[in-house]
Amino acid sequence: MLGKLDWSAIPFDQPIPLVAGAVVLVAILAVLIWVVVKGHLPYLWDEWITSVDHKRIGVMYILLASVMLLRGGSDAIMMRIQQAVAYQSQGYLPPEHYNQIFSAHGTIMIFFVAMPFVIGLMNLVVPLQLGVRDVAFPTLNSVGFWLTATGALLVNISLVVGEFARTGWLAFPPLSGLSYSPGVGVDYYAWSLQISGVGTLVAGINLVTTVLKLRTRGMNYLRMPMFCWTTLASNLLIVSAFPILTATLAMLLLDRYLGFHFFTNEAGGNVMMFMNLIWAWGHPEVYILVLPAFGIFSEVVSTFSGKALFGYRSMVLATMAICVVSFMVWLHHFFTMGAGPDVNAIFGIASMIIAIPTGVKIYNWLFTMYGGRIRFATPMLWSVGFMVTFIIGGLTGVLVAVPPADFMLHNSMFLVAHFHNVIIGGVLFGAFAGFEYWFPKAFGFRLDERWGKAAFWFTFTGFYVTFMPLYIAGMLGMTRRLQHYDVAAWRPWMIVAAIGMAVLSIGVICQIMQLVVSIRNREALRDRTGDPWDGRSLEWATSSPPPVFNFAFHPDVRGEDAYWDMKTRAQQQSFEHDVPEYQDIEMPRNSPTGFICAFFASIMGFALIWHIWWMVILGGLGAFATFVVFAWRDHDEYVIPAEEVARIDRINLEERRSLVSMAGAV
Amino acid sequence: MSDQTHIPTGHDLAPGEEEQHSVGERILGYVVGLVLALLLTATSFFIAGTDLVWQPSIPVALIVLAIAQMGVHLVFFLHITTGPDNTNNVLALAFGLLVVFLVVGGTVWIMSHLNGNMPPMDQIMRMRT
Repeated sequence: MLGKLDWSAIPFDQPIPLVAGAVVLVAILAVLIWVVVKGHLPYLWDEWITSVDHKRIGVMYILLASVMLLRGGSDAIMMRIQQAVAYQSQGYLPPEHYNQIFSAHGTIMIFFVAMPFVIGLMNLVVPLQLGVRDVAFPTLNSVGFWLTATGALLVNISLVVGEFARTGWLAFPPLSGLSYSPGVGVDYYAWSLQISGVGTLVAGINLVTTVLKLRTRGMNYLRMPMFCWTTLASNLLIVSAFPILTATLAMLLLDRYLGFHFFTNEAGGNVMMFMNLIWAWGHPEVYILVLPAFGIFSEVVSTFSGKALFGYRSMVLATMAICVVSFMVWLHHFFTMGAGPDVNAIFGIASMIIAIPTGVKIYNWLFTMYGGRIRFATPMLWSVGFMVTFIIGGLTGVLVAVPPADFMLHNSMFLVAHFHNVIIGGVLFGAFAGFEYWFPKAFGFRLDERWGKAAFWFTFTGFYVTFMPLYIAGMLGMTRRLQHYDVAAWRPWMIVAAIGMAVLSIGVICQIMQLVVSIRNREALRDRTGDPWDGRSLEWATSSPPPVFNFAFHPDVRGEDAYWDMKTRAQQQSFEHDVPEYQDIEMPRNSPTGFICAFFASIMGFALIWHIWWMVILGGLGAFATFVVFAWRDHDEYVIPAEEVARIDRINLEERRSLVSMAGAV
Repeated sequence: MSDQTHIPTGHDLAPGEEEQHSVGERILGYVVGLVLALLLTATSFFIAGTDLVWQPSIPVALIVLAIAQMGVHLVFFLHITTGPDNTNNVLALAFGLLVVFLVVGGTVWIMSHLNGNMPPMDQIMRMRT
């Protein structure tokens, strides 16, 4: 009846996950009770859960990423403490638990923190920057988000029901095969990635279509803000790389469920094929994450330097070059696997070549700052911190791209330090910069600068104190994923890294405090102009938060830096507009399709993991029926009458005009 | 391409498909495509079993027929044309082909070198005996 599921699935003998799970469960229940008692449920359902508004979906993606960041961060803290204490002793985490923690940490941080964070920012900002009213497929957008949430849910369920994979974040066979991992851990891993992978793929298709097909009047390709370009490149990579991941995991699942032999040791299977395929996805994946971050930095650096982006066209070219070359370097993840000198040399050179467009970008940002009137607001601090940190990470990257050097450094702590250096210094700093930069646009008030700066400095320092020792430990021969060790020389560096982790945690606490303080002082921090940073692109041309239709009129773009252009023209001419003719606007209706689909997908995923076949069928039928009902819908749009549009737009214009005249009077 | 704030609605259009074709012309296009596709499929099955041609050329012939089949699908069903409004579709196709070529070609190359350096277990066993 319940497949492999019984009471032994719940780890009563392991207090840590059980207590953590109980705390989370109590917290969720408390929030739910609060929501129901206070009567917020209809609001939550109508305005958020069923919303197909790209801004709301973007915010929900970022919320999901932030919650999962705390979960992945707790895993990181536990690992750092373990390695600090486990010198000539077992530490406090038994090996099978420790292995689950590092696997969960990697999986969560990449798939459920970095991915939703950048997809959320792209969702929130790209339609605004393009001057359009929504993404190309609004309901699909909601489906994509909720499927990602399903994946995250399954990973978290594995904490208390059953176990998570002990195989590392990419679940290499034969370890992840049935003979070495007979439990449900790898199944949790694979099904949560399969389901959230569908979500990511539809998000990618949606954003590619949005950038290619929906742009406002005059917004041709070479007038798009840099963030739109990097979004295009990143989502092209999603569309072409994620199917590889899905296919590879599907083959692994066939091995595990139906006795196939794609990646087994016996019967003609080839485990090396798994490394090859997973990295053919895995390397584009790192560019999927970092390209949007590059776009965010381009926006931030240009805005806070008060200058147009230096070398816009070279930046576009560099972005698209990275997009193509990222598909030619994947072997550098397994130089040591034995492909031989010819293959290694070619892929080593390709890996060094990809550093060139990245270098072009760094110089472009530096030259954008050169001669500019730089304001060091929090987003700019993250950007400058990124440039310093990412250069170090990039250089160690070029170092491990040299095959002979890689033979020394493969699987060492040096490698761990390298990829944290680029992912934290690149993607996470970028996500935080974008969060600080676009928060006023999403919610209508700015974030507290003092807490923001404190968060930056603690995170920045904490990062160096944590990860520079790991480089050294790697040089001293320490390999990754050690549950305990006996080498005295590594010990001091592990202790320093644990102290660094504490500093990093203070940074995270500052960020939470920043949010709390800003929400309390929101009236004082209110952004009435819609343009708190003196911005340059179209998202600042509308109010904060933008009305549901974003723009009362499709903006008319006449050059790069569209909004900057409009502002200069408005100063030269008179500020008075001729009274515009407002028109009715059609907007897509909210739809629970995404939520219901994901609900059934969660049931199906859980049932597949535990081999509960009747429930698999139930979940599958439910998800399909939801799709059919959606496909047979009659009305999917509603009309906002012209008077309503006019009313909303006039309030916004009044605010702006009064502020401008006040500034004029002073 | 840059002025697409309002996409003409009314009936379903494939991206890049021109509007002016009448229903008859469109049906004709699909019928021609279907006939060509069926013809190519039938030929493939025929070639595979025949002894009318030189035997080693059969795999090559099948590959050629398969590629022709893809071409038929792209032109008649997916409406890839060389028209200026079709640039996005052609570029997407080119990018897709490039990625497939890189991944498949790279994989074959990598795996053949791997197998050369580290033969699979059964080959090693045979070498010993």
